[in-house]
Amino acid sequence: MAILGALLVPLAAIGLGGQVGSVWAEIPQAGWDLSQSFVRMLIAYLLSLGFSLLYGYYASTHRTGERVLIPVLDILQSVPILGFFPIVIVVFVDATPNSWVGPNIAAIFLIFTSMAWNMVFGVYESLKSLPSDLREASDSFGVTGGQRIRKVLLPATVNRLVYNSVLSWTAGWYFLVAAEIIAPSVHGIGGFLLLAATQNNLDALLAGILLLVVLIAALDIFVWRPLYRWAEKYRYDTTPSGDQEMVPGGPRRAPFRRAAGYVYRGVVTGVTRLSTPVVGFAISATPQRLRHRSPGRSRVARTIVLGAILVVVWLLLITLIVAIFGVFSHPIAPPVRAQILLLPAALGASFVRLIFAYLLSLAIALGLAIYLVQSPRAYRLGLPVVEIVASVPATALFPLFVFALVAFIGPSRGGFEIASILLLMTGMLWYLFFNLLSGLRGVPPDLKEAALSLGLRRWQYYRRLVLPAIFPAFVTGSITAFGGGWNALILAEYLRYGPRTFSVLGVGQLIDLGNNEANGAPLMAAALLTMVFTVIAVNEVLWKPLYRRAADRYRID
Amino acid sequence: MVLIEVDGVDKSFPSRHGSMSIMSDISFDVADSDFLALVGPSGCGKSTLLRLIQGLDHPTGGEIRFRGTPVREVCHEMAMVFQNFALYPWLTVKQNVALGLEARHIPLEKIEVQVERYISVTGLVGFEEAYPRELSGGMRQRVGLARALAVEPAVLLMDEPFSALDPLTAESLREEVLQLWRDPQLPPEAVVLVTHNIEEALVMADRIIVLSRRPGRVLAGVPVNLPRPRDRKSPGFYELTDYVYSLITEGAAPTVPIGAGPLKSAS
Repeated sequence: MAILGALLVPLAAIGLGGQVGSVWAEIPQAGWDLSQSFVRMLIAYLLSLGFSLLYGYYASTHRTGERVLIPVLDILQSVPILGFFPIVIVVFVDATPNSWVGPNIAAIFLIFTSMAWNMVFGVYESLKSLPSDLREASDSFGVTGGQRIRKVLLPATVNRLVYNSVLSWTAGWYFLVAAEIIAPSVHGIGGFLLLAATQNNLDALLAGILLLVVLIAALDIFVWRPLYRWAEKYRYDTTPSGDQEMVPGGPRRAPFRRAAGYVYRGVVTGVTRLSTPVVGFAISATPQRLRHRSPGRSRVARTIVLGAILVVVWLLLITLIVAIFGVFSHPIAPPVRAQILLLPAALGASFVRLIFAYLLSLAIALGLAIYLVQSPRAYRLGLPVVEIVASVPATALFPLFVFALVAFIGPSRGGFEIASILLLMTGMLWYLFFNLLSGLRGVPPDLKEAALSLGLRRWQYYRRLVLPAIFPAFVTGSITAFGGGWNALILAEYLRYGPRTFSVLGVGQLIDLGNNEANGAPLMAAALLTMVFTVIAVNEVLWKPLYRRAADRYRID
Repeated sequence: MVLIEVDGVDKSFPSRHGSMSIMSDISFDVADSDFLALVGPSGCGKSTLLRLIQGLDHPTGGEIRFRGTPVREVCHEMAMVFQNFALYPWLTVKQNVALGLEARHIPLEKIEVQVERYISVTGLVGFEEAYPRELSGGMRQRVGLARALAVEPAVLLMDEPFSALDPLTAESLREEVLQLWRDPQLPPEAVVLVTHNIEEALVMADRIIVLSRRPGRVLAGVPVNLPRPRDRKSPGFYELTDYVYSLITEGAAPTVPIGAGPLKSAS
């Protein structure tokens, strides 16, 4: 109800502007395009469902399968999916006869990649954690074959599968809209929004976003919540579900908070599992002399060595790409070569932009979260509004943002830079906000009381209690925010709408340019590789140590 | 001299059906050199009462005074020991003990001295740099105790301090608290202990305030005049245990037991 109530707010705002009629006129076209998007989502979801059951079952029951399949999945999960989309389009368009089938398959594939991994882990983990007595009981009663699957294995996965499906849909919407924006030949809500921005049609933009929010809210109310309640009975209570948040306010978590939790789990497990072999390799490559020192120094040495190795491998691979293209394909065109040489500068620019967007998001998220937590009234009234705003896939807002900003600031370089950072923020803000919010809500009441009793004053209260207590949430929020940020780069640095192009120097821009330009393939490959390597390096050098520290020092048990 | 006066205190919380009364018309005094125990069934509001006394929460009606002044905000001449220790997992033992002193803007050198003293008094020497996670339950509660004593409070408030410990650890820690209490060199001037364990109250306290089921009311104030160290197997101890037990279960005060002295009940 709160959600429906909050939906009335934008409606009322539009009504005040006297625009209801003209927005209403855009609804049929938006609805038609949205229904196509929805069909795409549904197909991708059903594919993910089947895939996750097979993959998860195989990985959980076959030892060799497990050893290969799970690390592969971890790598796939920690890579910015959107970066690969241009390649996927090229591949599918080349492989299919007409221009309608290829992009559609590519879009569904992209949505699939944003949905499937998380669901596979759901199946895999729930089968792995199936209590052995349940397994033994079914063995001892001679339950085998189809009966075993129907009575034991499927029910065991239901709870996690429903839960993770919600997360998958949230992630799916984001990538669906992105895919439709990047490949406008795919008719859908993303293309509709982009077209509306191209034609300076604010009514259509609002109609599209509104319809999308209504659909997402309706799915949440009429599909996911009932399913979630139904799936509850498939939970065995002997092992508390790791997904249950231990904060007051009940078991219901907003879809977006769940999504943040999922991305966090994915990124973290991805980072930790993926990096083990990498670090192991780095250590064995470290000169003996550097290895046995004080723990602090050896960690610094390890980090430096690791960073150096990654840079060297990166350079080698780029050289290799350039060489391969040079030998097997046409020689690389001079403009493309110049752009490849721009990569370090582009990486630097993207990095600075991400850090700016991150710091701004952090300030807003922390302020908003502290404000909401401070009074129960603000929490009760404010949270539903924030949840609605956050439920809009950030990518759907991109055209609106570009539209508004270019209208306000004009197509200057500075205006583009600001627009780009704002776009990145839409991809980062909510991860930080919902993580910090649950961190703040999770500050144990007895520690608060002790602080009060000991007389800790404002600054001390924050320094000694609040900041350390939310540190784990801050780290996971930051990891997920950067995960979102790297993905958002693809859209936030280069957006073609109509005859105009919105573009700033960056890795994301070079990936898109490589995709759009003739003979741009080597550029796209090199830029993509750069991005993937940077993501892995940042995870290794920064997030993993921080996460380890959060998990061991700042954990509250 | 009277340190704390609890005067006709009511406490209720808003609930779905209007408001829920937790305790009603509670009155008693705590004098210096008093070791007072608040005993009652779970849910009678005894822990809430302890928080009202320090000013962590406020009564809906009535008044609490410390040295004659109404308690309106958190009173820093009292310190609390918590049931589940409430130690900060990211601070070392030393930093946890120093926390209350830091809040009082005491010069650093003095904090060092003070912290060292109370770490040694509570038997934590050698664990200064350990984190709470690395300690056993008994050791953690020692940190809780050291942290409370380090601010040298006039009144030490203890909220079921032994109930999260295993019976043997609890017993030895009780002994140590009593030893500290007997040491005239050490604060506090008075202790208020909340417990649902009648035996624990009788072993430790000079006086017991018995509270009824929710909404909590004072059923009786029972002086414990048994000689220290208290012998749990003595007939007097048995009698008093039975008496307090019957008070709680029957919810009313029966006859005055032999050897317990006159009842000092609600003023």
